[in-house]
Amino acid sequence: MEFDLLKRPDSTVVHVSLSPHEEILAEAGAMVAMSGHLQAETTLRKGKGGGILGGLKRMLAGESIFLSTFRSGNSPGDLYLAPKLMGDVCHVGIGSTGSALGGSGSGLVVQSTGYLASTPGVVVDLGFQGLKSFFSGESIFWLDISGDGVVFLSSFGAIYEIEVDGSYVVDTGHIVAFEKTLTFTVTKAGGSWLNAILGGEGLVMRFQGHGKLYCQTHNAGAFGQLVGSQLPAREA
Amino acid sequence: MTVETYRIDHAPAYAGLTLQLKAGETMVVESGAMATMDSCITLKSKMKGGLLQGLGRMLGGESLFLSEFTAEGRPGQLYVCPGVPGDIEHYCLDGSRSLLIQSSGFVAARPTVTIDTQFQGMKGFFSGESLFLLRATGTGDIWFSSFGGILEVPVTGDYVVDTGYIVAFEDSLNYSVEMLGGLSLQGLRTGILGGDGLVCRFRGQGKVWIQTRRLHNLINFLEPFRPVKSSDSLTSGFSLLKFLGSFFR
Repeated sequence: MEFDLLKRPDSTVVHVSLSPHEEILAEAGAMVAMSGHLQAETTLRKGKGGGILGGLKRMLAGESIFLSTFRSGNSPGDLYLAPKLMGDVCHVGIGSTGSALGGSGSGLVVQSTGYLASTPGVVVDLGFQGLKSFFSGESIFWLDISGDGVVFLSSFGAIYEIEVDGSYVVDTGHIVAFEKTLTFTVTKAGGSWLNAILGGEGLVMRFQGHGKLYCQTHNAGAFGQLVGSQLPAREA
Repeated sequence: MTVETYRIDHAPAYAGLTLQLKAGETMVVESGAMATMDSCITLKSKMKGGLLQGLGRMLGGESLFLSEFTAEGRPGQLYVCPGVPGDIEHYCLDGSRSLLIQSSGFVAARPTVTIDTQFQGMKGFFSGESLFLLRATGTGDIWFSSFGGILEVPVTGDYVVDTGYIVAFEDSLNYSVEMLGGLSLQGLRTGILGGDGLVCRFRGQGKVWIQTRRLHNLINFLEPFRPVKSSDSLTSGFSLLKFLGSFFR
């Protein structure tokens, strides 16, 4: 499997060349174009965790994601994958692939809209970061990425990396993904709640530990509110 | 020394097209797309090809009028920008084949190029896309635009493109619109434009141009942020549920 990132940085698209009997997993709706013989299949993936508590967590978190699998079959083929909004795509190696690419290979926690695609060795699970992520006002569920392979992350705006050693603060709307070696708490940005709210910085994520953060330059929720609130009202 | 006749700047995000006109030379431009020009250039708005063709273009999503810009007496420069930020691509018609363009994609052409609409009928791009394509025939340069970057895909054999991502294609290709069950989200999600698994299957030899983003995705994204008209408590409660539901998509 080979891939290329084209039209960077604002309209990035991933061009994937598949050898025979290869496959790639992508967010549903990401397919732009593909060879005619590729087989596509879309499934609804639900979060793990049984029992009442697991079910309750899933319900609260609304965890579900549609993923499409593209298979090449007997002959090679290619496809183009694009995220929905304007912005960039980057690739991150997971497991030994990550180490080979010069990274840590650590598993990732990815914001649900930050996931674009992954190679078959990568395990995509619906993670649950607890109710704290619900109160952060951002995307409610997270994807837990582990295994071995390459994952493609998409951002609204440009994407940039931060090496954290100790602690670091990120506005909740600017996080794309973080390495599992990091833990976070949702907290207020200012000294007091009044400060935090008046300052427009509402809630932030405070990361602890040693690892890498993937951030986006623009906040999709803020953009949506800015533009959407000025559109004509829709019927209920 | 050859003088460049056109230049595309700021692609793929904010592409603008600069046209160098020789004295007396004319360019046909999408109405309203002119951004700046030398003062020697004059504008004549007209329904190219008469009323019927003009009406046809309007149905195709383009405006009824095309603007003709002519450099009077001396050479001049014309700067053309499409309405939607994105990319611009150039194509030269040699008379042997025509080019089909997604209805809102036309930017500019030489007057030797004829632009018509082609009704797609039931075969058309009914996935929320326009039912019309523009057909460019004749000879000469033509420029078309997209939302997002434009990629040229040479097709040999069989290639599938999501209908929302088609910008243009050569008519040497056979095409048919079909639904790929494996991509369909119908019944799973509602209120989403596209995502219904409609694709265009191209067969034969020729080129297809695809865009790397589609406007509908941005519209779908903004939809839940729109204010909601609430008439009574029941419907507003329902809309709150819908609003919450939109987060779970």
